[in-house]
Amino acid sequence: MILVGELALWVGLLMAAWACTVSFAGGALRRDDLIASGRRAIYATFAMVLTASIGLWTALLTRDFSLEYVAGHISANMPNVYVFTAFWSGQAGSMLFWALILSFYSAIAIYANRDRNRVLLPYAAATLGAILVFFLATTCFKANPFTRLDWTPMDGRGMNPQLQNPGMAIHPPNLYLGYVATAIPFAFAIAALITRRLDAEWLGVVRRWSLLSWFFLTIGIVLGMWWAYVELGWGGYWAWDPVENASFLPWLTGTAFLHSIMIQEKRGMLRKWNVVLVVVTFLLSIFGTFITRSGVIESVHSFAQSPVGSWFAAFFFISTGTTIYLVATRLKNLEAKAELESMVSREAAFLYNNLVLVGIAFAVLWGTLFPILSEWVRAEKITVGPPFFNAVNRPLGLLLLALTGIGPLIAWRKASTANLKRQFAVPATSGLALGVLLFALGMAGGYALVTYALAGFVAATILQEFYKGVSARRAIHGESIPVGFVRLVARNRRRYGGYIVHAGIVMLFAAFAGLAFKTEHDVTLRTGQEFETNDPYGHHWRFVSQGASTDKRANRMVTSVALETFRDGKRTGFITSEKRQYFDSADRPTFEPSTEVGIRSTAKLDTYVVLAGVRGDVAELRVTFNPLVVWVWLGGALMAIGGLIVMWPQAERRRATQAGYVSVLAPGQAEAPAVGATV
Amino acid sequence: MNRREFFARLTTGAGVTVSTAVAVRAARAQAAQAPAAVDSSNLFAMDQSASRPVRLPPKPGSRVVVSAAERDAVEHRIRCQCGCTLDVYTCRTTDFSCQVSPSMHRDVMALVSGGYTAQEIIDAFVGVYGERVLMAPRATGFNLLGWAAPFVALGGGALVVSVLLRNWGRPARAKTVTGTRATGPTDATDDELARLQAAVRDDR
Repeated sequence: MILVGELALWVGLLMAAWACTVSFAGGALRRDDLIASGRRAIYATFAMVLTASIGLWTALLTRDFSLEYVAGHISANMPNVYVFTAFWSGQAGSMLFWALILSFYSAIAIYANRDRNRVLLPYAAATLGAILVFFLATTCFKANPFTRLDWTPMDGRGMNPQLQNPGMAIHPPNLYLGYVATAIPFAFAIAALITRRLDAEWLGVVRRWSLLSWFFLTIGIVLGMWWAYVELGWGGYWAWDPVENASFLPWLTGTAFLHSIMIQEKRGMLRKWNVVLVVVTFLLSIFGTFITRSGVIESVHSFAQSPVGSWFAAFFFISTGTTIYLVATRLKNLEAKAELESMVSREAAFLYNNLVLVGIAFAVLWGTLFPILSEWVRAEKITVGPPFFNAVNRPLGLLLLALTGIGPLIAWRKASTANLKRQFAVPATSGLALGVLLFALGMAGGYALVTYALAGFVAATILQEFYKGVSARRAIHGESIPVGFVRLVARNRRRYGGYIVHAGIVMLFAAFAGLAFKTEHDVTLRTGQEFETNDPYGHHWRFVSQGASTDKRANRMVTSVALETFRDGKRTGFITSEKRQYFDSADRPTFEPSTEVGIRSTAKLDTYVVLAGVRGDVAELRVTFNPLVVWVWLGGALMAIGGLIVMWPQAERRRATQAGYVSVLAPGQAEAPAVGATV
Repeated sequence: MNRREFFARLTTGAGVTVSTAVAVRAARAQAAQAPAAVDSSNLFAMDQSASRPVRLPPKPGSRVVVSAAERDAVEHRIRCQCGCTLDVYTCRTTDFSCQVSPSMHRDVMALVSGGYTAQEIIDAFVGVYGERVLMAPRATGFNLLGWAAPFVALGGGALVVSVLLRNWGRPARAKTVTGTRATGPTDATDDELARLQAAVRDDR
């Protein structure tokens, strides 16, 4: 099976090259036979890449240490679940995994559109084929997971212990699912540019794929934050590391697109901008991969001395150059008749929302690349770390939070003064009241106060929208509040799913602001010694060391220290932190010792204990009070739920929506396609 | 060839040239750095020999002028050089296998005991390691570009959006003034209009 997989990888590369060539030729020559052949070649590519992936999984699960990748990433005594996830834990495997997802997505997108968008399809298939050629060629020539060693070692090197975590098992696949999904909208955008069919037709195809990408990127990013928080032990969940930034960039531009697409759907405006956002989102995915795999930027996650960086650089610049050429030569086709009745309208609010999102993306990209620029200009290396990103992004983030509340309150086209007063009265009062209340209660910190006031404002706008909607249903249909709520959301999933996403954003911002009150203590305790301090809420805490213990488990030696904890004199239990030294099947240590953080989570506060080291019976510990962290995970989950609601097909309204208002006037003509109508 | 085509070709040509140059440069850099055995694990390799002594003689009649909290704040501003990308305080209280952050911490402690202020300690570290030892660049000289560019870009973007909105608003306002908006009689029946209005209302 391993050999079959290796061969399938090469056949997959040939299939992708065939798909790219004949699809493009079929589109250009208008030859249906070539187009059909290209379509089938995309399916075949998926089959081949899947076979290659099964081959690699077989090699991993049978512990075939004659393969360099297997010997370098697993050991004989590792649990099978992490042997399975080792598929994507290294460079070569992750490249194959990327190709697997891309070929799977491509097959679905091409199959779903086989009878629709017949003009766009061959060029979309050709573009996807070209991207597949790049990934498969890189895998075959520069990072082949089937490369064999000259000799077969008795055991493998094992997996970095910090990757042996449930979060790490599902965080990378989600990020890859998100990154790779940006390729489908990109392919259809390129197809639309080539064919000069730049009306709403291509948008209809890409919206759901963009949502899918956004959904998985959101989950992937939040899971990555969770993994960093519970596994790395530095006490936070976001460090503005280049790899984190690389995942955040396409999320930002993808979010901007999901807002601006509404303006094109409703008003036919922003055609150029939407093409640019789709293209930039994909290119940022590639660029992010390039900067983290080339070693050009120092990152804690860097794929060290990676040989694929130059290939990614070449692919990035060729894709960028091609896209710039296509956009530049089709500007006339992208002209749209833009009219705006008022500067105070939802269209204008969405434009400013796009500006801030893209502004944050620029700030993050700029900060990530500035060390390179500095070294190039001044020949001096500098570090651009969290203090820079926090200082720059705080004001931009607050602007974005404010717009999250303002946008939904303003009417499309033109908002009257009366409308504004009616819509803003309750939310603005709520936000202001919350800010004043927190100030009166003694909350210090300007940014935190402004964040909570804005969070109160946005939360009130969301509640107001739900209240109005449910009240209307109760008045018209006589439904109970729960039934009215469920049906309100179900009947207009885009709108109310979007509000649920906004509610998740509010939670996240509230949690981020909580970090302003984080406190940490560097503590040294002998067995039986205690440490006393107050948390940010003023509660008194006492930690009593129970001493260090060491025990041997399946593939690791564990040194742990338990602290008995008391809050305001009342016992709350134990918090245990560990240091783990992993070893291979011959009991030889592998990797540096890793940390297992002890965390006690409540809605108000995380008590976070890290064992830095043990000398005799003396434990070196860091005790951190992290307020409101649990709301990061809840906010992320709520955003994912909201995204799922927005994505979920709306069968009963689809036909009517696709046909636009024509169907309302003449139900019998509902099959006619309408400009800007998408689900 | 018209102006639009000229610029399109120029842009494409420049893109290809830049891409080739960058790809060649990256390939050369990698060829120079590539070790015999490639480690593709995606977590950093620690450089335990990265610390350099940061020593200054104690000030005459020195007394400690930096509190413990201020000392921790200083360590939060200095980056550990082991490759972890963390600051000294976080690294030394997280990872006991790192020998670099404890060494840098000892230097901080010695300078604190020597009577140096927080700023003097930071300056001493910059003097030895260079500016890369700081977690964020100082807002001086060329670094000002780094700090200001995001806000300048946002301001520029806001200006562009405002101009666009104003331009897009002109035709709509002109129509309103000349009365060409669809306020007159239409071909639709009252029933059709009512259904259309309901659909528009539902769609908002």
